Amino acid sequence: MTIASGTVREAAIAAPPPAPAATSPARPRKRRQLTRNRWGYAYVAPFFLVFAAFSLYPFMYTAWVSLHETSLSNINGGTWVGLDNYRNLLQSEFFWNAARNTLTIGILATVPQLCMALGLAHLLNYKLRGRTFFRTVMLMPYATSIAAATLVFSQLFGREYGLINTMLEAVGLQAIDWEAGTVSSQVAIAVIVTWRWTGYNALIYLAAMQSIPGELYEAAEIDGASKWKQFLHVTIPSLRPTILFTIVVSTIGAVQLFGEPLLFAGNGTTSGGSSGQYQTLGLLMYQQGWSNFHIGQAATTAWAMFMIILVIVGVNAVIGRLRARADR
Amino acid sequence: MATLAIPATDTGRDTPPAAPATRRRGHRGGSKAGKPGPVTYTLLTLVALVSIFPLYWTLVAGSHTNAEIAATPPPFLPNASLFDNFRAALDQAPIGKAIINSVLVSGSITVGTVLFCTLAGFAFAKLQFRGKGLLLSLVIGTMMVPTQLAVIPLFMMIAELQWVNQLQAVILPTLVSAFGVFFMRQYLISALPNELLEAGRVDGASTFRIFWSIVVPVARPAMAVLAMLTFLTAWNEFFWPLIALTTANPTVQVALAGLGSGYVPQRSVIMAGTLLGTLPVLIVFTILGKQIVGGIMQGAVKG
Amino acid sequence: MATVSFQQASRIYPKSERPAVDSLDLQIADGEFLVLVGPSGCGKSTSLRMLAGLEEVDSGSIVIGDRDVTDSPPKERDIAMVFQNYALYPHMTVEENMGFALKLAGISKDERATRVREAAKILDLSDYLSRRPKALSGGQRQRVAMGRAIVRNPQVFLMDEPLSNLDAKLRVQTRTQIAALQRRLGTTTVYVTHDQVEAMTMGDRVAVLKDGVLQQCDTPGVLYDRPANVFVAGFIGSPAMNLVTGDAVDGGVQVGSAVLPVPRDQLTRAAASNGKVTVGFRPEAVRLTGPGEGLPVRVNVVEQLGSDAFLYTSLADAPDDVLHSADLVVRTEPRTPVASGQQLWLGTDHGALHVFDAQTQQRVD
Repeated sequence: MTIASGTVREAAIAAPPPAPAATSPARPRKRRQLTRNRWGYAYVAPFFLVFAAFSLYPFMYTAWVSLHETSLSNINGGTWVGLDNYRNLLQSEFFWNAARNTLTIGILATVPQLCMALGLAHLLNYKLRGRTFFRTVMLMPYATSIAAATLVFSQLFGREYGLINTMLEAVGLQAIDWEAGTVSSQVAIAVIVTWRWTGYNALIYLAAMQSIPGELYEAAEIDGASKWKQFLHVTIPSLRPTILFTIVVSTIGAVQLFGEPLLFAGNGTTSGGSSGQYQTLGLLMYQQGWSNFHIGQAATTAWAMFMIILVIVGVNAVIGRLRARADR
Repeated sequence: MATLAIPATDTGRDTPPAAPATRRRGHRGGSKAGKPGPVTYTLLTLVALVSIFPLYWTLVAGSHTNAEIAATPPPFLPNASLFDNFRAALDQAPIGKAIINSVLVSGSITVGTVLFCTLAGFAFAKLQFRGKGLLLSLVIGTMMVPTQLAVIPLFMMIAELQWVNQLQAVILPTLVSAFGVFFMRQYLISALPNELLEAGRVDGASTFRIFWSIVVPVARPAMAVLAMLTFLTAWNEFFWPLIALTTANPTVQVALAGLGSGYVPQRSVIMAGTLLGTLPVLIVFTILGKQIVGGIMQGAVKG
Repeated sequence: MATVSFQQASRIYPKSERPAVDSLDLQIADGEFLVLVGPSGCGKSTSLRMLAGLEEVDSGSIVIGDRDVTDSPPKERDIAMVFQNYALYPHMTVEENMGFALKLAGISKDERATRVREAAKILDLSDYLSRRPKALSGGQRQRVAMGRAIVRNPQVFLMDEPLSNLDAKLRVQTRTQIAALQRRLGTTTVYVTHDQVEAMTMGDRVAVLKDGVLQQCDTPGVLYDRPANVFVAGFIGSPAMNLVTGDAVDGGVQVGSAVLPVPRDQLTRAAASNGKVTVGFRPEAVRLTGPGEGLPVRVNVVEQLGSDAFLYTSLADAPDDVLHSADLVVRTEPRTPVASGQQLWLGTDHGALHVFDAQTQQRVD
């Protein structure tokens, strides 16, 4: 083909076109900015409509309810009692019992769980045969619902015919009345939580481990670090943000613990054991509202739970920031 | 028209398409830590057994009579009474209905969540509008608010609307998720180049058309992950359905709770019922397990 | 086909003091290939995006043909754009990518297929129409991006560094092809690049931008021969023009111990601001002279390119008060027997000196 470098080109060079009649240079340009703005709102609108109606509004309303003496049957009314509910809550032995239990079960459930998850992630990070199989199997408990898991475990922990007691007796130990004891029942509940979440957290750690550049390990290897030293000095520090994240998420979950203690006894009582030995804050709130019909009191407990979570998240954020600053 | 002679000699020379970062990561991670020894396999097998055993035990216990499980030593293999126990469980609790309800509820929640969260996640990732930062921190902030904080007013609301024991009472409040918005946003920030949106605008696509023809196809992998996770979470949701529904019109979890709180606990029947209610997710999990695992790990890195 | 005109067009990004594009005035003729060139951050891409409708115009206006499009969205401007990273829709085949705009414009399926196939033939993409972008090489993707623009037969092509993701050899190949294609289609084209060689080889005219301000817009030849200011002089040409600044003295400009001869009249006007003058001369306008004659320099590095050789030198007797922006580069015949460390004397060709006011940086003729 021939390249038509002729007329157009030279014409263009010879005479740039005269400028068309100039338009006013200083016109307002706000209009288009606004239309583009509006599209953003249109996209988030469906989310925020549902969100406002079923989350934001209830959160606020719960605060309002917590300042009233009211019951479920008396939905719109109720008497203003100010901070009385909070005062009562802080003086209530039920609250402190539940708070104590939530704390101990929380520690029993999260600390071993996250440590095991970390170790498990380390194992899964090897070049394994049947890698997908192991990962999938370890996530099975996560797919099992709280209700199903608790029903199964309450059978396994059963006093008379529970498999765990049967095995304890088989090796010559004493059977334990898991449900009745304070420590034993809390351990049992912590086991359920640990069973359900260890694999999930291991996968989160595994993902973080895999994003650590291999060169770091090679450098450590050249520096003569053993595998264990590498784990300690390369893996753990790189995982710190992820570990902090899982701690926060697990603790938030632990504060809300509800289904396991509700179903553990197998009879659906809301007292958390005959002497409240595994009563948690989540269960207490349900008991106050739906067994005792003290809605105001229940709302107060809910807000107390939220406060506890805020403190935990706040403390973790501060720790995270201090560590980050120390690193700099 | 004459053909402009452009030699197709560039095929091998210039850079090949870059592999997605996640895939590279997976490869690198697999080879990095070296070869595992027998101890590793033993430990992993042990953990795998512990993970599976309670579920297997559900099958064993659910397929025997009460007397048989109480025997010493207890049975360790499934038995023939499974279907009798299924029948008994179905008599005691409306598990069949519960499964249908759970499918409806979880399905609706999944569709709604994926749709709304993709819309909002896209806006937060790629559009400029006033108050965006504030709205986004609101979304992230609510991820740490406990469910307990909402249930009282929600219960009042559905009582007012006469929705107690109606499925919409458990669908609507869960129709969106803050996690979902955040997840989609993180994905789209890295997966959707601005140039692609601009190309759409230059090609003459309307804002909605850009969303439908460009954003959604790009977002599809993340939408699939979000769908699986949402379905799983919705299926296993316990607290709010327990409050909003009764055993007359339950979801699976509510039915299971009812099953467990009978006065004369029949262990084998409870286990058979539990098995029935868990089976659907386990089947889904067996089929999609690999994708769910991938999704959780992907979400972990993005988050 | 259409003319394009920027009239005092400015863009100021929010939270930014300085305009990204400052009162740009530019007339582009129908069918012209205009290149916007400049260092990164000079506003060339912003200008292009303002023309595309992807960036707002804060003041001034933009006209395509006889239509003021300042406030029009991109789709009403009848333009097509080729992006730096090509921006191919990953989930669509090559054919769907190229036909997407036509589909949105409501063009029938048959018509679409015809036009896409025609463009594919021109770009040698016929065998790849059913492939996804992922399965194409970088060069092929680049051509799909071109194809997507040409099937629309728009009034203006906009190209934003379309070659920067190709390797060097392919880039040189493709740039001639794009230029030839544009001549054949005769579509007005605005092309952005940071590479002055690309700009010089492709453009009918080249507009040089710096800090959002248009420095000079002219044909490649004029830019090279008569740069309007020090920036253009240094930016256009490779290796760059040698620029030295010194005091105006009798008969020329004092550089070290030597005086570069500048005609009196020119010198007077150039020194009007502060008595200092910047002179420039291109590497190829330098001769090696005998000892004691001209600028004494010491050779630092000798670059043998085969067709030429470049000597990178510095002034041998540079006192501290002589400002020189860089080493002096000299082009010589290849295989000139010169070694680094050697002392040489340079003379400039008659009339080859570019003279600039050192204060205003503007050219003085």
